[in-house]
Amino acid sequence: MDLAQIRHIAKLAELELSEEEETRLAGEIGAIVAYVAELDAVDVSGVAPTAHVAAGAHEQLRADVRAPGLSHEDALSGAPAAAHGGFEVPTFVE
Amino acid sequence: MTMQDVLAIASAVTSGATTATRIAEETLAAIDARDGGLHAFLAVDREDLLAQARAVDAKRARGETLGKLAGVPIALKDALCTRGLATTCGSKILEGWKPPYDATVVARLRAADALLPGKTNLDEFAMGSSTESSAYGLTRNPADESRAPGGSSGGSAVAVAGGMTPASLGSDTGGSIRQPAAFTGCVGLKPSYGRVSRFGLVAFASSLDQIGPFATDVRGAARVLTVIAGHDPRDATSSAESVPDFELACDRALTGLRIGVPAEYFQDGLDPEVEASVRAAIAQLEAQGCTVKPVKLPHTRHAVATYYVLATAEASSNLARFDGVRFGLRISPPAKDRAQGSALHAMYGATRDKGFGPEVKRRIMLGTFVLSAGYYDAYYLKAQKVRTLIRQDFDRAFEQVDVIACPTTPTPAFKLGEKTSDPLAMYLADVYTLPASLAGLPAVSVPCAPTKAGLPVGLQLIGRPLDEETVIRAAAGWEKVR
Repeated sequence: MDLAQIRHIAKLAELELSEEEETRLAGEIGAIVAYVAELDAVDVSGVAPTAHVAAGAHEQLRADVRAPGLSHEDALSGAPAAAHGGFEVPTFVE
Repeated sequence: MTMQDVLAIASAVTSGATTATRIAEETLAAIDARDGGLHAFLAVDREDLLAQARAVDAKRARGETLGKLAGVPIALKDALCTRGLATTCGSKILEGWKPPYDATVVARLRAADALLPGKTNLDEFAMGSSTESSAYGLTRNPADESRAPGGSSGGSAVAVAGGMTPASLGSDTGGSIRQPAAFTGCVGLKPSYGRVSRFGLVAFASSLDQIGPFATDVRGAARVLTVIAGHDPRDATSSAESVPDFELACDRALTGLRIGVPAEYFQDGLDPEVEASVRAAIAQLEAQGCTVKPVKLPHTRHAVATYYVLATAEASSNLARFDGVRFGLRISPPAKDRAQGSALHAMYGATRDKGFGPEVKRRIMLGTFVLSAGYYDAYYLKAQKVRTLIRQDFDRAFEQVDVIACPTTPTPAFKLGEKTSDPLAMYLADVYTLPASLAGLPAVSVPCAPTKAGLPVGLQLIGRPLDEETVIRAAAGWEKVR
């Protein structure tokens, strides 16, 4: 895996990596991807994918009824910055 | 402290032979005496523990019926949210964060009058097999302090194996309960996917994560499971199936139980002493009236690759929530240090770079890669299909047997530092625990004969979906005769 690819993935993952990290990860991710490539040899023709393995009657959604949830105060209690009753974030629209 | 098991403590507190306060004091003394060297705990709230104990004693004094875990100290993996008590998940990105709610399992333990002394160490975001990737230092194996306790729930295993609490909770995504139980010499039970609510468990890989108990004995683990299991409207994946009293399974005779032994779990890379110990345990089970027959699980060898595609993909998505907005760390780089893009994206990137450790970044990167345009079908979808083949192997095996017996791990506990420089070697150590996770099956690790050097070995017993009872029956039966 080359550095350009690593930088592209890091951007998708919202990770700001140092050059040292980029170089190291290029080697490590490359090695793991090379190992994972062994799956290429498995014949999966006609096999359906498994997305989850939930056992039992879990698919029923709960009734859409109003119930008390997290209070406003509790929801904001762990925020690094809060203002005007909301989460405060840096400017993202100029 | 005379270390007792879950049932002995609960019955002594219930009968008045001892008090919860006395148990709490003894627990704190045990932690003080042993945890300095082992470092199982990240946080112990002494005053809160004593207050919990006084509340249990007061409840008894008022003549009220006590819960099934009255006065039983249970340590909690620090991936479980505890209201008002810091929950770090072993990461700097959550340092100092105090959740505004309890996980469902925590609320159920409290309702059963358990005592919750504190939070235990883990690999950062439960990503690891040795507890060495914690941002808060490593945990040592009480059987040999130069060795890893396993992971990711290493702290919860050591709280039990190190004689500090008779039970604890961990979470298992690819073996994170069973492998540390095997490495440290205690019982570790991963329930079926859906058996226990994950509400309030910091998510790693949502199609795999499951909470379960560690305990000094099978019966103790069964009682804790009975308390924490059951549907929760706040976790849509939790099963609506009724929850039996799992303890009753401990008393069922072994006679007639059909045990499958998969050759794929006894191949290259299996330590000869581990193999001898596990085979001796299986022979002993046969002598107790079980039928033992070979079964085939041919896709076992693809479990590591399948798991590390699916688990990292899910992790990359789940960990997107740690962005410096709603909880935990925020790093805001000054405008002059920003190369390009908005201040918001610069904050995300800097926060996540500073807050996540190397293993977490590695997995987020790998997971983002396998989900990225052009690679999704080749890696993610392919792995989902191989997951189906792994499940079908088990389905076929369970047409002939009731439970599968095999080693929990290919080797006894490895040395601290032995695998930290080679991520792939660390991943390969999970080869025997990953298949049951991918198939959502209940599985337990129960100690069998240790190696000549005295290192614990785990016998793994795997059952059908939602059939924890058979797994518990086999494990408890083995425990009686070992």
